[in-house]
Amino acid sequence: MPGTAVLHSEWIKIRSVRSVFGSLAAVLLVTMAITVLTAATVGQAEADDADAELLFGAFYALNFGQIAAISFGATAVSTEYANGALRMSLTAVPDRTRFFAAKVSLIGAAGLAVGIVTSFGAFLVGQLFMGEYAIGLGAPGALRAAFGGGVYLALMALFAAGLTFLLRSAVAVLSVLIPFILIVSFVVGDVAGSAADYLPDRAGQLILHQHAEGSLGPWSGLAVTAAWAAAALLAGWWALKRRDA
Amino acid sequence: MTSIDVHELTKDYGGTRAVDHLTFQVRPGRVTGFLGPNGAGKSTTMRLLLGLDRPTSGTAKIGGQSYAALPEPLRHVGALLDPQAAHAARTARDHLLALAVSNGLGASRVEEVLEETGLGPVGGRRIRTFSLGMRQRLGIAAALLGDPAVVMLDEPSNGLDPEGIIWIRELMRRLAREGRTVLVSSHLMNETSSFADHLIVLGQGRLLADLPMRVFLESRSQPRARVRTTEPARLGELLAREGYRAAPGEDGRWMVEDVRAEEIGAMAAREGIPIVELMDEHTTLEQAYLDLTAEATEFASAGRQEV
Repeated sequence: MPGTAVLHSEWIKIRSVRSVFGSLAAVLLVTMAITVLTAATVGQAEADDADAELLFGAFYALNFGQIAAISFGATAVSTEYANGALRMSLTAVPDRTRFFAAKVSLIGAAGLAVGIVTSFGAFLVGQLFMGEYAIGLGAPGALRAAFGGGVYLALMALFAAGLTFLLRSAVAVLSVLIPFILIVSFVVGDVAGSAADYLPDRAGQLILHQHAEGSLGPWSGLAVTAAWAAAALLAGWWALKRRDA
Repeated sequence: MTSIDVHELTKDYGGTRAVDHLTFQVRPGRVTGFLGPNGAGKSTTMRLLLGLDRPTSGTAKIGGQSYAALPEPLRHVGALLDPQAAHAARTARDHLLALAVSNGLGASRVEEVLEETGLGPVGGRRIRTFSLGMRQRLGIAAALLGDPAVVMLDEPSNGLDPEGIIWIRELMRRLAREGRTVLVSSHLMNETSSFADHLIVLGQGRLLADLPMRVFLESRSQPRARVRTTEPARLGELLAREGYRAAPGEDGRWMVEDVRAEEIGAMAAREGIPIVELMDEHTTLEQAYLDLTAEATEFASAGRQEV
């Protein structure tokens, strides 16, 4: 287990690089901005549609917040691979598992804290604009969705962090994940009930629906995303342990 | 307790052998110069000592322990490897603070090393605005953070101005006087001779010499004399008759090995050969070092041909 000293050190590293801390802040800022923008303009019109799912719609902006979460996870790790900074880090903490555990714990904890605030914030603020269509946290599945949305954001940050340990570059990870989430998942994802349900973003977002359709439920969907993140972290840990720094 | 022990250390990268069965010890209380041409394996050896790279075989220990086994390693070993090894977007102070905190060192220690390395006024600036010399000082500040008993510096005077070079030289001498183990790599012999008490010389990953600086100088400097005469043919005959190794130069000059100028002068006077110039030539340290590493290169290429 990483000691508090190493955790503190990792926190200093996160807060002292603008791109990393900025990405973390952007998770909240981008999500809130887009929530307000969409809820205030097209929110009620969209909700008027008979097929509309009010609960899932409330978390529409998480699609954008997750990009920031992925950037946060990727840049928090990639700063170690710029200019060989990793060598300095490993001379300070030569136990690589301890180093890895501290960094990943911090990314997970920061991602979860910001994710929960973002998810609840987006839901509560967005509903202020929904007029007669507004739902509260007491609505069926709402509390679960708001909480799960925060967990989902943290898991996407960890997924990106694991991949960055493996690929050693945020650019590489972002140029794989972002097109994947924006394009592949949207296109393939419409074919419901297929293997696409098990993609990390599709599966995890089931937690945001009132009723999950298909083979996965809300929690098992989130567990699938957690499994993706765990696999990426395991691969990253293995690469860090094995490679010369 | 704080010596560095390298035993039969070998490291291959792909098919290239960077370090080849290297064995040496670095003792406390003196500055040990770690010499060799670029690519001789100095930096690799340091990385292996710090556990950053894994040896193919052999061991590299500090105070009898592998680096990775040290609980708060910065308190035992300070290392400067690459002055660029810091994230450029951080301030110098944050960079040092992250390192310090992980080893249970406080912010006050960060301020101390910033002052000590002359970076006090620029501690709040981002590292990307630093010159190479300032980054070098920052790397040295990081090495000194934990007040370590063992200090390893890889090419510390790179990028430093003359004032900085004198400063680092004094710093290394002081660290050794305080009883610390100081290992300093360089590819420059003359620079190393200004601060090192002991030398470890590498060539192509192998140990070429491990001896006190003084012994190295004496063992490697051979007397030779340069002489110019108006009658080079007669002087050549005389030198050959007396059994000297000599090479003719332009303009009636001869370069004579293993001899002092006064011997040539006396001999020429006896024979009545007019001498217009006569002086001792001292093998420079640079030359001695180049000879040593050149021999190693020749040896290595000869060895390869046999295979």
